[in-house]
Amino acid sequence: MNAIEITNLKYRYADGTEALRSISFRVLPGECVALLGPNGSGKSTLLLHLNGLLPEKINGDGAVKIYGETLAAGNLESIRRQVGLVFQDPDDQLFCPTVAEDVAFGPQQLGLTENEIAARVKKALAQVGLSGFENRATHHLSHGEKRRACLAGVLACEPKVLVLDEPTSDLDPRGRREFKTMLRTLPATKLIATHDLEMAVELCARSIILDHGEIVADGRTLDLLGDEKLMLAHGLEMPHILHHLHPH
Amino acid sequence: MGAHHHPPHHHPHAHGFLLRLPVGFKLAAALGLILTVVLMPRGQWPALLVVMALLLALIFASRISWWFLLKRMLLLEPLVLGVAGLMLLQPDGLARCALAMAKANLCLLVTLLLSQTTPATGMLRVLQWLRVPWLFITTLTLMHRYLFVLADEAERMRRARASRTFTPQHRFQWQALATVVGQLFVRASERAERIYDAMCARGWK
Repeated sequence: MNAIEITNLKYRYADGTEALRSISFRVLPGECVALLGPNGSGKSTLLLHLNGLLPEKINGDGAVKIYGETLAAGNLESIRRQVGLVFQDPDDQLFCPTVAEDVAFGPQQLGLTENEIAARVKKALAQVGLSGFENRATHHLSHGEKRRACLAGVLACEPKVLVLDEPTSDLDPRGRREFKTMLRTLPATKLIATHDLEMAVELCARSIILDHGEIVADGRTLDLLGDEKLMLAHGLEMPHILHHLHPH
Repeated sequence: MGAHHHPPHHHPHAHGFLLRLPVGFKLAAALGLILTVVLMPRGQWPALLVVMALLLALIFASRISWWFLLKRMLLLEPLVLGVAGLMLLQPDGLARCALAMAKANLCLLVTLLLSQTTPATGMLRVLQWLRVPWLFITTLTLMHRYLFVLADEAERMRRARASRTFTPQHRFQWQALATVVGQLFVRASERAERIYDAMCARGWK
């Protein structure tokens, strides 16, 4: 069974902008896939669909399936339990006064007991290296810490599919390295929208390139990113790391 | 930058014993004090003076900066004046106005003292314990959280605007300010939508 199966997905914003035109792809359980493409290519829009946050009304013949379950108005809850979405701006996601409360938010919504919630919070914070931050105010964290707290908040729901929107943007090199190492240890199926092409090379065996709301390439990350013509045609570039891997 | 720039009220200024008192007790005491002041009959100036002395002693003991309190009081004074000013229209207006001003300022001082010696999270917890409707508490919690984000955003926009402001003409500055306020409103409501999405993504119902 596929972890994610999207067929013929289209979306048009209220102002008429066509954001997604007939998107279809599948992701196998345990895969880590990079979603690449220039700004405005539809990456974030696509990610919102995976959690049923778009469209407001499900219509047309496009379908999103998560582990065989087709997303519909009636099963949003079940879909959101399976798909954890980490937003691009940590301030959108961290809305509780303290870190522990924020991480506990998801498990609370799942209706777990106090003890289970506490255990989940502890585990999630340990996974992202924020043990001891429980009572820190969310608005006093550094940007890197905010990112980790966001990820902890999603991990605490124990999703099968992890969807991340530009997880390493605005991070310093060390923060980026640590975040990548952390992501690698997580067993969930991952779909990562990013401009960090080196991360794509390091973490994701497969990449999907999106441009103008269409999938223009889908294949092995090394093959796609090594194709300089393809990269330049879609507002991307060959990452330096590949020059070292395949010196000309 | 986000982690360092915050409005001055992000946590209590006080270090004294008031900070260590249980939040519930402080809330009840403040409410009691406000009721006492408001319900005090006319002509009881000595009693008001006693309350005033008590408050001054508490402020002294909790080591809040006098300058900071004065600034806060001045900021809220227009409201006090507005309400007290209306009293002037009644018979015996001057005395009524003076009394209303004294009472309003004492109440103001009590709330300032409470807010400066009590962390917002503690206050929210007490409200929860008091069974205040969850919608109200959620709104307050979100407001407390995003006030800082908005203040940061306004400050970033102000700096960005200042860096491109070459004419000291007031007319342009007011125009620019109006744009910034409008922009801030749009950004805030868009952010609110994203926050709601993020909450839904984690199972909010």
